[in-house]
Amino acid sequence: MNDHPDLPESSSPSPSAPAGSSNFATVLRDSADHSAPQAFSFSGRGAEYFRIWIVNLLLSVVTLGIYSAWAKVRRLRYFYDNTSVAGASFDYHGNPVSILKGRILAVVLLVAYQVAGYLNILLGLLAALALMLASPWLIWRSLQFKLYNTSYRGIRFGFRGSFGGAFKNFLLWPLMSGVSLGLLMPMAAQRFKRFQHNEARFGATHFSFHGSVGAFYLAFAAGIGGWIAGSVLIVVGFGGVALFQSVQSGAGSIAAFGLMLFALYAWSFLIIPLWITLLQNLVWNNTRLGEHRFESRMRWGRTAIILLTNVLGIAFTLGLFTPFAQIRMMRYRIESVTLLPAGSLDDFIASSESPGSATGEGLGDLLDFDLSM
Amino acid sequence: MTVSASYFDGKTSRRHLVTLTVSDGVAQVRGEVERDCPIAQLRVSERLNRAARKVSFPDGAYLEIIDGTAFSALLHETGHRDSLVVRLQQSWRHALAACAALVAVVVLSYLYLLPLAAQGITAILPVAVDRQVGQGTLDFLDQHVLAPSQLDTQRAKGITSRFRALTTPMSDAPDYQIVFRKSRIGPNAFALPSGQIVVTDEIVQLLDDDDALMGVLAHELGHVHRRHLMRRLIQSSAIAAAATLLFGDVSAVLANIPTVLLDLKYSRDIEREADDYAIAMFKANGLPRQKLALVFEKLEDLGKSKDSPAARYLSSHPANEERIAHILGAR
Repeated sequence: MNDHPDLPESSSPSPSAPAGSSNFATVLRDSADHSAPQAFSFSGRGAEYFRIWIVNLLLSVVTLGIYSAWAKVRRLRYFYDNTSVAGASFDYHGNPVSILKGRILAVVLLVAYQVAGYLNILLGLLAALALMLASPWLIWRSLQFKLYNTSYRGIRFGFRGSFGGAFKNFLLWPLMSGVSLGLLMPMAAQRFKRFQHNEARFGATHFSFHGSVGAFYLAFAAGIGGWIAGSVLIVVGFGGVALFQSVQSGAGSIAAFGLMLFALYAWSFLIIPLWITLLQNLVWNNTRLGEHRFESRMRWGRTAIILLTNVLGIAFTLGLFTPFAQIRMMRYRIESVTLLPAGSLDDFIASSESPGSATGEGLGDLLDFDLSM
Repeated sequence: MTVSASYFDGKTSRRHLVTLTVSDGVAQVRGEVERDCPIAQLRVSERLNRAARKVSFPDGAYLEIIDGTAFSALLHETGHRDSLVVRLQQSWRHALAACAALVAVVVLSYLYLLPLAAQGITAILPVAVDRQVGQGTLDFLDQHVLAPSQLDTQRAKGITSRFRALTTPMSDAPDYQIVFRKSRIGPNAFALPSGQIVVTDEIVQLLDDDDALMGVLAHELGHVHRRHLMRRLIQSSAIAAAATLLFGDVSAVLANIPTVLLDLKYSRDIEREADDYAIAMFKANGLPRQKLALVFEKLEDLGKSKDSPAARYLSSHPANEERIAHILGAR
């Protein structure tokens, strides 16, 4: 075993030293100009994260998932420690033991839910209803836990909100969007983000969200509309070819059908990045922290290239490329954002507020809520 | 050793430029803030390649290190040692060893652990669960692929009563029911978790031999008796869960490919087990084993299968000649 744990770092040309001194330079500069734009930077690298990921995976597998709570903390610490803006980085404070408790409860509830569904349809429906009614509370608690455990410059983030607000924005609006056959979906998405960002705070300073419903309708029209239009074109196009071929020979139509499925799949993979790009730009260009603003400049082409190469990489390496893929996408998303300060960043003050419970977070993880801010 | 750092007090976001030194086990912060604290009360963030390290005080204040190299030297002087996990993570040699260990664990689980676990879980679950799962499957098949049998009723009854009179190789045979159907899928027989063994008219006509037919029924009873379908259900769910964990956030299609391919091996395994059951049943009842082999010879003639070696790995059943050789060679 290595008796000199710091040897590799000091023997290599020490990447942290130049980064450190440039931080130092920024510090001196922003004390002169308080409103200079501050780009977010992400210093995580695929090769390093791969090692963390593989060790996490091995330990999680051999401990039958128990280590996964510690793995989550290590993963998030890696992401947060490597994300910085204005010369300081973020920090994650989640406690693995409370995350583990949340996950155990989540597994028990999910198994009970599955068993209920198997044993009796009525019981299963009741369980599904209970889970649905509980979901806004879960999302709400999960947001509280996640933000409370995030800090920047020693100040913790937080999330207020009320159960009523969570119920309305995390359950009623999505239900309305379903009832209206998706016509209200952009409205529901706007309400969701508005609630999420309006109730978030950094210390005692509140975030606010200014994205209009109209802007969400435009983004959805481009994303979903583009997907539907492209898919219809592909189906009609290939349908015509297939019809033509089946007149000539029966076998060709199967090949055409296969090609059509491939084209539909490829088109979806081009639209997903458009979607990611539009939403991130829309959300961050309309979010403020006190008087400070943000700017997000993601581009569809770049997002699409990263996403497509990521999918191919993961497929051809049987999943080993996954950590590299995550880092590439995360780096692009984070480094697309710039903080536009309205004044000094030294004046935020901490707020005294209770921590959220990890139960919500654990359940949220397993039920796969994507709450990325 | 003097280390430059930013100090944040945990109450405001103000940055204080400071230096850190350690003497006699006490950390001394000097500069825009002055503070002393025994190093035993401080928590140092784990070492990463490029991220600035953080030193946290018990009250929530912390230092963000600016001069990483000097800080590493300071840690070394104070005898700080990285945790085992950090040392694993930061070395390629160990990470690659972890990778190899992971592959070994996954392969061993796939080959031995999962089938064993599935067997164990099935043994705990009451048979009633199998029945519940299989309920309605026959109705569904009747509506879509099967038609009422056109076999002579006496013949069907004769086959059923002859098979029921045989001794099973394992005790406690579960309830089962033999049903005859005409099918669009040709000569076939299969068992459902509900305990129903479906025999098609076509296989009765193809074999044209009641002893051989006993072999088919014995094989299918093997599936029911050893609860193969429940085991397959557990195994394929576990594989699907693992594949989703690995590929799920990339593509749902990608996540399903390994599930289907890996499941085929389990399918062939249970077919062999059912063959063994049939062999044991023939032996227990003094039936000629050649008749059991006849089933696969006739199926082979029918298919005249032109399997390439690669196709064998993509097949849900073992090759017919292999099964015939096994039946005739078994003691």
